Amino acid sequence: MKIWQKLAVGLACAFCLHGVAAQAQERPQELKIAYPVDVPNWDPTAVTFPAGQSIYKAVFDSPIFVGGDLQAGPRQIKAWQWLDDSGTKLQVELRDDIYFHDGSPLTAEDLKFTLDRAIENKTLALHGMIPTLESVEVQGPHKAVIHFSKATPTALKGLAFLSAYILPKAYFEKVGPEGFASKPIGAGPYKLVDYQRGSRITLEAFDKYWQGEPAIKRVIVDIVPDSSARVAAIESGRADISVQIPVREVNRLEKNPNLVAKVYPYSEIYILQMPSYVDAFQNEHVRKAMQLAINKQGLSKAFYNNQAQPISVLATKGSPGDVPDFKIEFDQEKAAQELAKAGYSKDKPLKIRMLSTNNTFPSDYDVARAISQMWSRIGIEANVEEITVAKYLELSHSSKVPGVMLYSWANATGDPEIFTGRILDPRLRFSTWKEPGLADELDALNVQMDEEKRVEGYRALNQKAAENAWSLPVLQSISTIAYKKGLNVETYQTGYILPQEYSWK
Amino acid sequence: MASYAALLGRKLGTVFLTALLLSIVVFIVLRIIPSDPLAMMLPPSATQADIDFIRKELGLDGSIFQQYLVWLGNALQGDLGASIYFRTPVLELLKTALPPTLELVLVSLVMALAISIPGGVLLYKLERRKGEMVADFALVFLLSVPSFLWGIILIIVLGVVYPILPFMGRIDPSFSVDTITGFLLIDTLLQGQWRAWFDAFQHLILPALALALSFSPIIVRVLRSSLLDTAAAQYVNVARLRGQSEWRVLVHHMLKNAALPTLTLIGVQFGFLFGGTLLIELIFSFPGIGNLMVQAIKNFDLPLIQGVALVFCLMVLVVNFCVDGLYAVLDPRLRTA
Repeated sequence: MKIWQKLAVGLACAFCLHGVAAQAQERPQELKIAYPVDVPNWDPTAVTFPAGQSIYKAVFDSPIFVGGDLQAGPRQIKAWQWLDDSGTKLQVELRDDIYFHDGSPLTAEDLKFTLDRAIENKTLALHGMIPTLESVEVQGPHKAVIHFSKATPTALKGLAFLSAYILPKAYFEKVGPEGFASKPIGAGPYKLVDYQRGSRITLEAFDKYWQGEPAIKRVIVDIVPDSSARVAAIESGRADISVQIPVREVNRLEKNPNLVAKVYPYSEIYILQMPSYVDAFQNEHVRKAMQLAINKQGLSKAFYNNQAQPISVLATKGSPGDVPDFKIEFDQEKAAQELAKAGYSKDKPLKIRMLSTNNTFPSDYDVARAISQMWSRIGIEANVEEITVAKYLELSHSSKVPGVMLYSWANATGDPEIFTGRILDPRLRFSTWKEPGLADELDALNVQMDEEKRVEGYRALNQKAAENAWSLPVLQSISTIAYKKGLNVETYQTGYILPQEYSWK
Repeated sequence: MASYAALLGRKLGTVFLTALLLSIVVFIVLRIIPSDPLAMMLPPSATQADIDFIRKELGLDGSIFQQYLVWLGNALQGDLGASIYFRTPVLELLKTALPPTLELVLVSLVMALAISIPGGVLLYKLERRKGEMVADFALVFLLSVPSFLWGIILIIVLGVVYPILPFMGRIDPSFSVDTITGFLLIDTLLQGQWRAWFDAFQHLILPALALALSFSPIIVRVLRSSLLDTAAAQYVNVARLRGQSEWRVLVHHMLKNAALPTLTLIGVQFGFLFGGTLLIELIFSFPGIGNLMVQAIKNFDLPLIQGVALVFCLMVLVVNFCVDGLYAVLDPRLRTA
């Protein structure tokens, strides 16, 4: 063998050994997560981005926490009480043992600063999430009263949901919005130590975190948008956890002795949005026929390992707005009869357009095509068209959605106001069913301070919406995860990936 | 020398004019597409009043002409606006994303040349010989596989089945490298971090190879036909008659002349190589311009799409400008043309 040949062989071996060595290297207190999306930016109050909430929660924690049972519980805010019956003055008490990553304590001034920014700056998402915010009155180092312009019974849920995070006033004022976005600090269990946009987020455990330093000291979130690459990452051992992998891959990975792979229910719902301004959908019989012709259990079995629960109202199973005794059963014969009342049949089919995202939500496009097939059996020809979320939102906002749209609605609080209250409010851009009378009905419910009456009202409205087929609930969404066997991982209905709760066995 | 400078000056002028025209085309096309850039940034509870306010704040309420003039005025001062989705200045996003892409593209170009020059010579040597059909078939096969498919194949083979090369990101998180130029292969060297350099290089291999494998068959094909053309040239026959070896004739006389059409092709195809980064960066979690463009398109982030499109155009123009310059250096006839 000539010298250059020996050199080449040597180099190749060095490459392989280096790769294998890197692979086998043990990092007991480290966790690598293959995650599908990056955060848009590091001001968590600026954006409504459900998919990035796990990352924000790791860095910023949250004022109120909604757990697996979808109930709001104390977190940074340890106690609260309404100071009036009209639901406009909420007194909150923050914990006194919370520190930001720069070592400064979190106080009521930080809460005021955060909410004042949202009141003044309409471009911040937090402004839109709690639009009734009026002012914040500081009553002590850790006590404040939040004033609302009108009754806001869901204020606590709002403080647990998208974009509600307390920012450090002193640091933010010192570095400015751009400085903060490039080097953010929060009061969460992990500090952001390195960020490569679109590629990697490196977090380090915060030793002064009020719940104690997390067991896993270093978390590396690799942004891997491609689902097959996420599967490859967990299979090759380059990731310890891989989230949102295709359901069919879960079935395969389950057989891998070194991995745990599972499908679990998630607080999102698949719905078919019916635009009331499309002629065909103004006919009640058409809508009801469409609703009855969908075999939801069949869809769950075919696409989600039977894990996605069929739903009949705009709520996840067991959430406050759910109506357990009410069911819309799959009945093809009855569906055909309803369609006949509208003057359509298999011989004289109704032609409609159907829109769906492709690969934005698990198996979305396949589900849309399957539903279209089910409708074709009774005489509805739905032409399925692919659409992006941005385009759909733009069409929805301008009331120009040209057909029925399959969409997945996220609501990590489970509250009916964020399901039905947003989906059916004719004044909001997400609603496609523009029933003018619903505005007053929702206004009355949204200021109802008696929780029992509020939830009862929403349940009644949910049932009415389903009976009239204003929006067709299909399935409760699912999420998927695969992780190494030596890891203790909790899954939550909120879909949050919370490394602070995990540990190596 | 003066004519050479004049030629370069003319070319440079063309580059600026083309960039300006492209900016107009990109701006107008994006504005006439019936899509609303605010769609992704508004919360579910946003009312019409909120939407109107934000539209005005972002300067999206004027006519296309007004918007373009404002954009151009700012762009000439180095301000490409702020990304609607990322809420960060576009220029800052581009500054971070461009070096990784350039590094990836340049490494893949080197790999493509390393594959295609010997490949082109081999195919030329196999002309009318036994292995010609097999080589032709292999070339057609390689031509038909797109770069993203190479990416997936390489991940499966060299990342999962034989896990010897990394396929996520630019460098292992255990290395800490300060950003100086943004090019990891340079920054690690400047900081004397040899292991980090090796790791960054390993991270580049698979994505660069995926791009190179789809790029090189085209170069192979052109190089072979150029070699066949030059083989019949008089100066080649003269060299042979002088008793020079076939190898010497090939390396010293034929390759140099056959390189000219190949160089033109590389300039033309460079845009495709850049375009290939869109999917490759997504598959390999590479934080470059391609990845950024996918995000921008997905969220209909107008200022960012404009900024990235402009960078793509400028890159292609600059490369073509360089190729023209090189061409003039390599071919003296062009300097006086």
